[in-house]
Amino acid sequence: MGLRRYHEVRGWLFVAPYLVYVLTFFLFPMIWSLLLAWTDWNLISPVKEWAGLDNFREALRSPHVHAAFVNTYRLMAVFVPVALVWSLGLALLLDRLPRGSNLYSVGYFLPYLASGVAIALVTKGIVAYNSPINAFLRERLDLDVAWLQHPTLALVIIALLIAWKFSGYFGLILLAGLRGIPRELYDAAELDGATGWQKLRFITIPMLYPAVTSVLILAVALCFGVFTEPYILTKGGPGMATHTWHLEIYNQAFTSFRAGYASAVAILSALATFGTIGVVRWILQKWGNRYDPI
Amino acid sequence: MTRSRRKWLSVGLLYATATVALLVAVFPYAYLLLQSLAPWDQVDRRWIPTSLSLRSYLWLLAGGEAALPRPWLRAFLNSFIVSLADTAASLIVGMMAGYALSKLRFRGARAVYNFLLFHMFYPGILLLVPTFLIVKSLGLYNTYWAMILPKAVHLWVIFMYTNFFMRVPQELLDAARADGASEWTILWRIAAPLTGGLTTILGLFVFTERWAELLWDLLAVRDERLMTLNVLLASMQGPYGTFPGPLYAAAALLTLPIVLIFLVFSRRFLDGVSYIFR
Repeated sequence: MGLRRYHEVRGWLFVAPYLVYVLTFFLFPMIWSLLLAWTDWNLISPVKEWAGLDNFREALRSPHVHAAFVNTYRLMAVFVPVALVWSLGLALLLDRLPRGSNLYSVGYFLPYLASGVAIALVTKGIVAYNSPINAFLRERLDLDVAWLQHPTLALVIIALLIAWKFSGYFGLILLAGLRGIPRELYDAAELDGATGWQKLRFITIPMLYPAVTSVLILAVALCFGVFTEPYILTKGGPGMATHTWHLEIYNQAFTSFRAGYASAVAILSALATFGTIGVVRWILQKWGNRYDPI
Repeated sequence: MTRSRRKWLSVGLLYATATVALLVAVFPYAYLLLQSLAPWDQVDRRWIPTSLSLRSYLWLLAGGEAALPRPWLRAFLNSFIVSLADTAASLIVGMMAGYALSKLRFRGARAVYNFLLFHMFYPGILLLVPTFLIVKSLGLYNTYWAMILPKAVHLWVIFMYTNFFMRVPQELLDAARADGASEWTILWRIAAPLTGGLTTILGLFVFTERWAELLWDLLAVRDERLMTLNVLLASMQGPYGTFPGPLYAAAALLTLPIVLIFLVFSRRFLDGVSYIFR
């Protein structure tokens, strides 16, 4: 009996560090944030006024929130296809290289290690007024491009930076998927006289479906958490063209000190995230059924 | 003859494409390094500087003739302390929890595991403001602890260890149990060494992620002497705008250590990656 009790307690002791963390840095803040959203607290004043639905009403009308909402999908429209095609290309290359694929894998993964701050700095330098690119465009083509002051261009640049960062990471996920496809399938197809394209279309892509699904969901989710790149490069501008959910929450909470309002915006952003991921999963499932996985 | 020629051609094309992709991957790193070594009148004006100079690094470390001296080395050290502390903590907490959830059958283990999954998918941004308030009310604001504690547990690490230990055969542990070893000893002497490759790769991921963190560290401290290199670099873009060279040097200091660590462990990384992405 005593021994049994001891066994029970021992298990809980081993997970205790995690549970302490959960209490302090998850459950407690979780409840707090859900409560804060209904107040108009400013981080400093001792008074917390109950605000009811005011924060949510204001947020739903706010042009900043609208911009963050819309920009997430604009970002996604560039980032997801570019990252998917690029990483798929890398995975297929790595799978086909007869030798040295390890060396290339390591190289392709390097972008994931970069700090967003450092890479944003490089980007700033490359598009600086006197940079080689701009000097060339100005002198040879008489073009004056203000890269980061152009609403669409700035957004595309940020999307490409994130795609650059994650393509190798996604590529390795897809490569693991590719390597999991049984060789016999290809051998059988070859016996039937399938062309390279047919093998890609009817074996590789359907068999890669689970890996592609995880990459796509990861990529979509990432778009809701963009912060570093626009924070350094554009501060959300020009206008609100590169404003994001995380920028808005950060600005409201720590520049305007509107903790309650920021919590309401955070809740809306979480709803948008789950809603979007839900839709993406649903689409992927429908699409997956068509392939009738073996 | 033509057949083998075509084969050579396609292999050559394969390597050419792979190499171009490699160049795209390393281009920003190369640019960063070259600009940090360029004479100041050439920074951002030439792809490849005509001569190399260490002026940017010397200026950075000495504090510079014109501008305020900045604690760059200190910031570098701060990044290191914070990242290392969080990596170590994440791995230790992760191993303990993972071992308990998979190998110590206790009532509630299933519930804790399910809770972990819920926790993993809960959007962290919702916790940002209240976590800041908690850190503040614990009196930790503007200390190392403010940066370390909220990121000292990594849920994905617990998840990976739970699934790893699940597949460690029970007999291996039972032999030690028969010898009277405690679960604590078994975890660190028998189970932990089995995780070698996995631990390397989890450590690399956690360290990298922590090293590049901006948002939280931006909030957690105000004192320049406590700032991580990432935060210092982000906050220095204004006043240092006229000194792009040193900024590149700082960015190189920020980037190169992590690349070097990664290259040292790259062999184990590749083994590990095929495990975790499978």
